[in-house]
Amino acid sequence: MTYHFGRGRSRWLPYLLLLPGIVAYFVVALGPSLATTLFSFTDASGLPGAPVNWVGLANYNEFLFLGQAARDNLDAVGRTLIFMFFVTTIQFALGLLVAVILNQKLRGRNFFRTLYFMPVILGAVIQGLIWSLFLYPLGGPLAKFLEIFGARSEFLGGPPTEAFAWVIVVQIWANMGTTMIIFLAGLQTISEEYYEAARIDGANNWQVFRNVTWPLLTPSVNTNLLLNVIGSLQAWQLFLILLGYRNGTQVLGYLIYAVGFGQTSGSVTSSFRQGYAAAASIVLFLMVLVIGLAVQYFLRRREMRLMG
Amino acid sequence: MRKTALGTFVALLLLSVALVQPVAAQTTLRVLVHQNPPMVEFMDTFNQQFQENHPDIVVDMSVVNANDLSTVTQTRLSANDIDVIDMFGFANAVQPYMKNVDPPNWQQLADAGLLMDLTDQPFVANYDAATIADAGTYNGKVYEINLGRVVYSGIFYNQDLFTANNVTVPTTWSELVTACETFTAAGIPCMTAGGKDGWPIFVGAYGLIGALYPDQAALVEGLWTGTITWNDERALDMWSKMQVYARDMIESGASGIAGDAAPGRFASGAVAMFPGGSWYAPAIESAEPEFEWGYIPFPGSDDAEDNQYLFGKYDQGWAIAANTPNAEAALTYLADFSEPENYQAFVNAVGFIPTQETAQLDTHLGAEVAPYLANFRVGYEQYWVAPRGVGQYANPWASYFQPFGTFDDPQTLADTVQADLQSGLDAAGS
Repeated sequence: MTYHFGRGRSRWLPYLLLLPGIVAYFVVALGPSLATTLFSFTDASGLPGAPVNWVGLANYNEFLFLGQAARDNLDAVGRTLIFMFFVTTIQFALGLLVAVILNQKLRGRNFFRTLYFMPVILGAVIQGLIWSLFLYPLGGPLAKFLEIFGARSEFLGGPPTEAFAWVIVVQIWANMGTTMIIFLAGLQTISEEYYEAARIDGANNWQVFRNVTWPLLTPSVNTNLLLNVIGSLQAWQLFLILLGYRNGTQVLGYLIYAVGFGQTSGSVTSSFRQGYAAAASIVLFLMVLVIGLAVQYFLRRREMRLMG
Repeated sequence: MRKTALGTFVALLLLSVALVQPVAAQTTLRVLVHQNPPMVEFMDTFNQQFQENHPDIVVDMSVVNANDLSTVTQTRLSANDIDVIDMFGFANAVQPYMKNVDPPNWQQLADAGLLMDLTDQPFVANYDAATIADAGTYNGKVYEINLGRVVYSGIFYNQDLFTANNVTVPTTWSELVTACETFTAAGIPCMTAGGKDGWPIFVGAYGLIGALYPDQAALVEGLWTGTITWNDERALDMWSKMQVYARDMIESGASGIAGDAAPGRFASGAVAMFPGGSWYAPAIESAEPEFEWGYIPFPGSDDAEDNQYLFGKYDQGWAIAANTPNAEAALTYLADFSEPENYQAFVNAVGFIPTQETAQLDTHLGAEVAPYLANFRVGYEQYWVAPRGVGQYANPWASYFQPFGTFDDPQTLADTVQADLQSGLDAAGS
C-alpha cells in the first residue's frame, strides 16, 4: 500500500493534523450537546455550586404532559412549525425571484445585490431596532401610512397573531439575502450554452426557467431549503428583541431561552431551570433532526431523479 | 573611555530603578445595576466620588435592562465575573400551603453559596430591621441590604390639564371613567404606559386589583386554596374594569413606547395621566422640571374608602458575590453607600421610600405619597408563586385584553385565567 505521507511515523501525520479540529469539535459542539442531553435528566439550575439531582424523565413529562403549561408548550411547537413553513416558503421564493432578476444584465444590479444582502450583516439587535422604529405605533412610518386610510395598529404590541406575523416578516427580510446569494452563485454556474440551445428550440421564458434553470439549480435549491428549514426552526433572537416573552407568540427556540434564564412569568424572581430547558432543547433537537432528515431524503431523491 | 561610559550608564539605570516608586495595584470593582435613568445617573456620580476617596479602586459599572437583570446576574455570577450586584428585594418566597413550585431565583443563588453573608457587617445596622428581615434575609443570614420601597399602584396626573378641562382628581372608579371620557372628548389621550417593555401595561392596573383585594397575601392564599377564583363575581368586576382600562383609558400606540420613555411623554403634557410606579417621579421631574404633577392611588373601587391603599414592593438592593476576589473593595463600596448622607442623596435622586430610619423622602413625590404611607402594603406580585403546570394566562393582567392581547370579553378571559390556574393547582394536587 502507498501512503502519501510516507512510511513509519509519518503515516500518523494526517491524523495529527486532523486532531486540533476534532478536539475543537468535541469541546465546542459535541461535548455541550452531550452535556445538554445529560442535563435534561436532572434538576440543574445552571448555577455553580447548586446541587444537581437525577430526575429521570420528569422534565420531559412536565414539558409534554403536565397541566395547561404542557398544552401551551405544544402550541409553541405548532407555532414553530408554522413559522418554519411561512419563513421557508416565502424566503425561498423571494430569494429565487430576486436572484433570477439580479442575474440579468441590468444597470445597477451590483447595487441592488448589496442592498438586498445588507440586512444579513446587521445582526439581530440592529435588525430588531430598525423594525421597532419602522413599526412604532405612535407616528412611525407605517403608522403614518395607515393613518391615511383611517386605520391604526399596535403592530408588535398588538394581538399575538399580528405580532407573530411581523416576526415572520422581519425574519424573511433579515435572511433573504443569504438565500439570494446562494441562488445567484448557482445561477452563475449554469452555462449560457444551455439557454442558447433552449432559445433556438423555441422555448419561452417560463419554459427556459422550468426546463433549464430549475433542474440545474438543484444543488442551490437543496442548500437553501435545508438552511431555511433548520434556521427557522431554531430562530429565537428576533422573538426576544421584537416581542419579549408574550403569550401566544413564543416559538420553541425562544421558550428554551426564557425557561433556562428565568424569564417566563414576568416576575423578576423567576427560577433558573436549566435542566428543564435542556429537556425542551432535546425536543427541539429531535424536531430539527426528523424534519431535517426528511427534507434531506426528499431532496436527495429529487436530485437523483433530475441529475441522474 | 568606553568602560567609563558603560559604567555611568549602568549606575544611572540602577539609580532610576531605585528611585521609581512601586505603582499601587488597582482593584477593579465590577458592579451590576439595572436600567433606571435617575439611579444610573446617581451611581455615576457616587462612583466618581468613591474612586476619589479610594484611589486604589476603579469601579466598572454595567447597566442592563430590568428584564435581563436575573439572566445577567446568573451568567456573571457563574463566570465569577461580578463583585457587587443590584438585586430586587427578596419576594415570592414559597409558603407552607404551596406545592410543586420552584424557589425564587434569589433563594437559588443563596442556596448555591453564590451570595456573601453580610450578617455581621456594620453597615447592615444602618437599615431598619424590618426591611433587612423582609427583603434581604434568608435562613437567618443577611444576603442583601435593600435600598428602598416603591409604590406601583398609583397614577401620576397632569395638574394643568385637570384644571384646564375642569376635571377633579378622581377618588372612585366612576370618577376616573368620567375623567377619561372628558379628556378623550377634548382630544387628549387619557393615559400612557411604557408598553414596549411589556409589564408597564399590566402593572399600571395593579391598583385596580388592590382596591378590590386589599389583603393581597390573603388573595394569594385564597387562590391557592380555592376560596377565591379569578372568575368569581368580584373577579369579574375586576376584569370588566381592566377591559375599560386597556381599551378606553390607555392611549392607542402605547405598546410601542419604551418603559424609560413613558415618563418623558407624560411630562411633555401629551396625556392627562400615567399609571405607574413611584420610581418614575425623578424621570418626570428631570424631563420637565417645571411640570406640575400629582400622584394618587388608582381608584379601582366605587367606594373611596377602598381606594386609600398604595401597593408596592421592596425595590433595588445590594448583594456581593460570595466568591469575589475583591471582597474588601466590595464591602467598602457598600459601607460607603450606606453612609447616611450618601443614602439620603440616593433617596433624593431615585425617589425610593427610605429603608434607613434617618433618611427622609423630602421631595415632591414624598409629599404626594405621605398621606397614604400609613396604608402602604406589599403587593400581589411579591406574594404570588405559580405551581408547575400552570397555563400562560394564569395572571391578573389587563394586557390580555385588546388591543394589546386577544380577549374582548371579560367572562371569557376570567374563565380562561381560572382554568389555566386550576390546571396547575390540580397538577400540584391542591
